[in-house]
Amino acid sequence: MDAFNNFLTGTITLFSDPMGVLIFFGGVIGGMLFGAIPGVSMLTLAAILLPFTAHLSPEHGIMLFSVIYCTGVYGGAITAILFNIPGAPENAPTAFDGYPMTLKGQAGKAVGAAVMCSALGGTVSTIIMMLATAAIADWAISAFGPPEIFALVFFGLAVAASVGAKTFWKGWLSILAGLMVAVVGLDPVGGIERYDFEMPYLLAGIHFIPTILGFFAVSEIFVQVEKKVKGDFVAPKISVDFPSLSELIAHKFAVIRSIVIGFFCGILPGIGATLAAFMGYNEAVRWSKTPEEFGKGKLEGVISSETANNAATGAAMIPLLALGLPGGALTAMMVGVFQMHDMEPGPLVFINSADLVWVVFAAMFFANISILFIGFLETKTIINLLRIPFQFLAPMILLLATVGAYAVRGLTIDVIVMFLAGVIGFFLRRSGYSVAGIVLGLILGKIGEQTFAQAMQMLHFEWSGYLDRPIAFGLLVAGVLTLCGSIYGAFFKKNRRPPITSG
Amino acid sequence: MGQLRVGHLVEAGLWLLLCLFLYIYSFDFDKDIEIYKFGASAWPRVIILLMAIAAIGQLFHHWKKGDESSSQIISAATDDGAEEAAHESHHESLKWYASTFGLLVIPFAYMRVPDWIASFLSLEGTSAHVIRIVCAVILAGVFVYYMRRNMVGAMLTLPLFFAALLEDMGFYSIAPFFIIGVMYLFGERRAKPMALVAGLIYGLLMLLFVKILFVGLPIGNIRPFYDIGSWVVTVLQ
Repeated sequence: MDAFNNFLTGTITLFSDPMGVLIFFGGVIGGMLFGAIPGVSMLTLAAILLPFTAHLSPEHGIMLFSVIYCTGVYGGAITAILFNIPGAPENAPTAFDGYPMTLKGQAGKAVGAAVMCSALGGTVSTIIMMLATAAIADWAISAFGPPEIFALVFFGLAVAASVGAKTFWKGWLSILAGLMVAVVGLDPVGGIERYDFEMPYLLAGIHFIPTILGFFAVSEIFVQVEKKVKGDFVAPKISVDFPSLSELIAHKFAVIRSIVIGFFCGILPGIGATLAAFMGYNEAVRWSKTPEEFGKGKLEGVISSETANNAATGAAMIPLLALGLPGGALTAMMVGVFQMHDMEPGPLVFINSADLVWVVFAAMFFANISILFIGFLETKTIINLLRIPFQFLAPMILLLATVGAYAVRGLTIDVIVMFLAGVIGFFLRRSGYSVAGIVLGLILGKIGEQTFAQAMQMLHFEWSGYLDRPIAFGLLVAGVLTLCGSIYGAFFKKNRRPPITSG
Repeated sequence: MGQLRVGHLVEAGLWLLLCLFLYIYSFDFDKDIEIYKFGASAWPRVIILLMAIAAIGQLFHHWKKGDESSSQIISAATDDGAEEAAHESHHESLKWYASTFGLLVIPFAYMRVPDWIASFLSLEGTSAHVIRIVCAVILAGVFVYYMRRNMVGAMLTLPLFFAALLEDMGFYSIAPFFIIGVMYLFGERRAKPMALVAGLIYGLLMLLFVKILFVGLPIGNIRPFYDIGSWVVTVLQ
């Protein structure tokens, strides 16, 4: 009942504030557009907006990012279905059956299913998030000290590294590169300068905003110039036909299974919406009595992928808000928004800024609902906007990133660092490394080293102290097991081919 | 050699060289901290050790499985098309890398060479500024000359060159050229749309950031760029 009252209060606060409403709808539409336009993604939009959130209140800043997360995951489904060009990686499996449906003249039904299942998956996930996060945060306040947080960071990095890049080793190299970048600057215990190369700029550490902008927004433009994306789409005539009730009931197991898969993928660090969509689709094929029909325009393929990727969004907020640990690139940027307002995400947010949390929850709930309505109205607009050639979008994105990087501290060196990160990100991405892993390492590296130092001081530098702390010990063991499992897989396991189809 | 290629060896070599460099440099801050017995260097050294292990593990993976991914499902989910684009555009040759890194030297040359020349000739004030402008023009000429031979390398270089020029020439003076340059590198060749879009983007950005949000952008240190930047700000505000 408390949760319901808090949700109502959050809803009233959200919709009684004109600025909040403006930011909410800006986030909904912006997330959908950037999710849909090939060559950019919701991460590009989030990276560009990150520096400017300093001018917003913390509520508005976090709410904007959470809304972009919900609608951005849906946005790319439209282009995946209509043009076989997923707007974002998390919509790639949607294209496997969505595009063949378009070829069969069933585009309206495929888009309708995507709209409906995205809204359904996201809404259910948000409701579970609202019920679970506060309870986990309450428990975490008493149960989580520095040893537990360090152990959780270790476990999170172990999972993220195992699934984040093309190979297990590249996943770890990406994470470790991020951890190394986080080392630059003053050490958290003694304030000793590390890797500053006698440059005053590096004393404060490499700022995460230019780094994030470079890795996500700039490197994306560089990748696109290599692909030479042309925005010369021929806009098809499109209508949105929602699947009938009987069709939905016929796919109820696919929807429930995808919600469960999406939710658990979202809650585990480093997995997120993309892998959720692939796993949701993969399981749909495995459980199907007619797996041979997948990839040829089967509605269940679209339903499974779109339900799973949106179900991951609400779940991803649980470790961020309850424990202060981001699980993916966008939630790592949300940590940046918190830090810019001198706040730390984590269980204390529920005590110190309960209003913020419930406004964000309400915004996520309504963002998922709005996919139903705005998704229906926006589809035609998005198709027309896709006519804007990418050569005209690219300079705009680069200049927005330039202004964003410069505006943080008024230093042109931040702009140089951003473009340098873009160049490095470009080379790493084309070699199968994960830029999201680097950013996760950068954000978690600072938390990890600080909590490790505090934990060791607390435990009087006795490693056996972890044995007396069951949660920390359990998380360390889980991290080590994840690591061992991945190493075993990397060395000894043959690459079994799961039934993933490319349409 | 298993399935190893030269590129795999270079990749592992670069990681191991980086580890070696970072390890040697860690002695610079290998100091004791009274309340923390591990000191300031233990954490980075553990990361370096793990990086070296992962680089060797990656080499072993390449030797055993070539470019195969660990798992098809993970590979599909993490594939953003960057690798495929690199492969399809044949931008994997040593010649392409040499040409790209050659182009990337240009912005860094601008950050250092004018200072060296000014210091060598003991120039200060306006004369030093003239040297900076001359260097910028020469380097821009070199960039334009080599740009057509390696468009992707040029695209990587242009934003860095733009960033290197920002402090001296200001955002307001060079942003229009940057917009046109990016459009050109993306394949746009029609003069009229380029001019129109450049004007539109520049106008929108000025309106949003200078007129509405009052964001202070670099106006430049060198005349006449400083005067142009100041004029734009005065007109808009």
